[in-house]
Amino acid sequence: MASILLVAELQKGAIREATYELVSFAKKLGGDVTSVVIGSGIASQAEALAKRGGGKVYACDDAALANYNVDGWAKAVRAAAAASGAETVLFSNTPVGWDVAARVAAGLDAAFVSDAFDVKPGPVFVRRIFNGKLDAEIAPAAGKVVVTVQPGALAAFEGTDTGSTEPLAVDLSGLRAKFVETKLASSKGVDLTKAEIIVSGGRGVGAPEKFPEVIQPLAAALGGAMGASRPVVDAGWLPHEYQVGSSGQVVTPSSISRAASRARSSTSWA
Amino acid sequence: MKILVCLKQVPHQDARLDVNADGSWIKEDGIKFEINSYDTFALEEALRIKDADPTSEVVVASIGPERVTQALRTALGMGADRAVHVKDPAVDGSDALGIARILAAVAKEVGPDVVLMGLMSEDSNASAVPPMLAELMGVPHATAVVKAEKGASGFRVERELEGGALEVVDLPNPCLLAGQTGLNQVRYASLKGIMAAKKKPLDVKTAEALGLAGKVGASAAKAKIRKIYPPPKGEGAEILTGNADEVVAKLVGKIKELGLL
Repeated sequence: MASILLVAELQKGAIREATYELVSFAKKLGGDVTSVVIGSGIASQAEALAKRGGGKVYACDDAALANYNVDGWAKAVRAAAAASGAETVLFSNTPVGWDVAARVAAGLDAAFVSDAFDVKPGPVFVRRIFNGKLDAEIAPAAGKVVVTVQPGALAAFEGTDTGSTEPLAVDLSGLRAKFVETKLASSKGVDLTKAEIIVSGGRGVGAPEKFPEVIQPLAAALGGAMGASRPVVDAGWLPHEYQVGSSGQVVTPSSISRAASRARSSTSWA
Repeated sequence: MKILVCLKQVPHQDARLDVNADGSWIKEDGIKFEINSYDTFALEEALRIKDADPTSEVVVASIGPERVTQALRTALGMGADRAVHVKDPAVDGSDALGIARILAAVAKEVGPDVVLMGLMSEDSNASAVPPMLAELMGVPHATAVVKAEKGASGFRVERELEGGALEVVDLPNPCLLAGQTGLNQVRYASLKGIMAAKKKPLDVKTAEALGLAGKVGASAAKAKIRKIYPPPKGEGAEILTGNADEVVAKLVGKIKELGLL
């Protein structure tokens, strides 16, 4: 059975839920699971992943990886892929995943599938194209394949397991990208990723003032947050943090209402 | 500074999308094409660098059939200096890695200090080519760039993360930046620019001329589209009818009934 490497991510100091969704995806795909956790001071997180479906977990623990670095991550993932002998490498389709996964695929000369939300026997990966207007089934050639998986597509793995951890040393000399800082966007950060209810408006509402006049009060009346489609944001009607859907925030509301928006409601929704 | 901008020509955002006979892609006959919106922001960013430093050269490159000439002429009309068009049926059916290989061969001839392109294309939505091209070129990259500040020997960029957070990163030249939409306000080609564009160089290249015979195209592709189709319809859609007040009353009733809020 082929071996699958999961590339874990951390969020607020813990393994991100999307990583446990990769465990579920790997189980659906079928194969021996190994994982890699990348960062600085990440021993306990590697342990946690090993006990919840991560299999043998490589801990790439280095002060140079305290913050995300594209060169460092590419090196670490390739080292983990070599150590595990993985034929398939799974990333989450997050700001880290979409930054580094295709780079790793090119380095491994592997087939690459972006933002898969399902896998069928074959394997055949299913993803959205044309901003969600069509679905596509992608069949990778035999050999290595790198896949990014849409967060929220599968439920996170909740079982327990007896995995193990192993340190993974990587030569991190010569990193060219230099992390400076993380900051909030200049306007008030609107974190739609945590909103339970979102009322999202499209360009069809007609004018920028309809957002404060109609969408915002509706969202407020429902106890929710205001969102917007990409054309609205591109037109400068609202700052980018309000954007949901294609290349905006991946949101997981329990309820959503779209007003005058052409986008398919499930586009990029987790 | 020499800047390479990679453009993709994609079906117009309002184009009708019908699946072709063998289900492998959409029917391209009779639909309008345009420059991928993400790429227009990258082109604008390049032209702004040239505005600030007129010694800069902006080279635009694209891959595809004859229709792509129009996209390149538009870019030249906006202010790019010259264009490279890889036009060769042998590259049809390339996967993202094949496209990245072609662009890497073009980049090798151009020798850019920076490559600018969009984060993703409006048709395949894959975000695959920019990181692949950076890897093949052996240069660092950043994706989802919302701000790029040119320094003495590199760029300070802001990358978009989640929840309104931004990551600030320094990249030395040469590097590759893949831009998010809304990075800037894209200019229109002026009439004068469009007239001038007719005299600007537009080189047409084949895969063989780039040393890529047999390395790109459908036979070399490792990720193949098996079929495309409209997404399955969700079940239980219900259309509410009546005047505005009636529809609102019915909708509120539904929301309460289903316990959504």
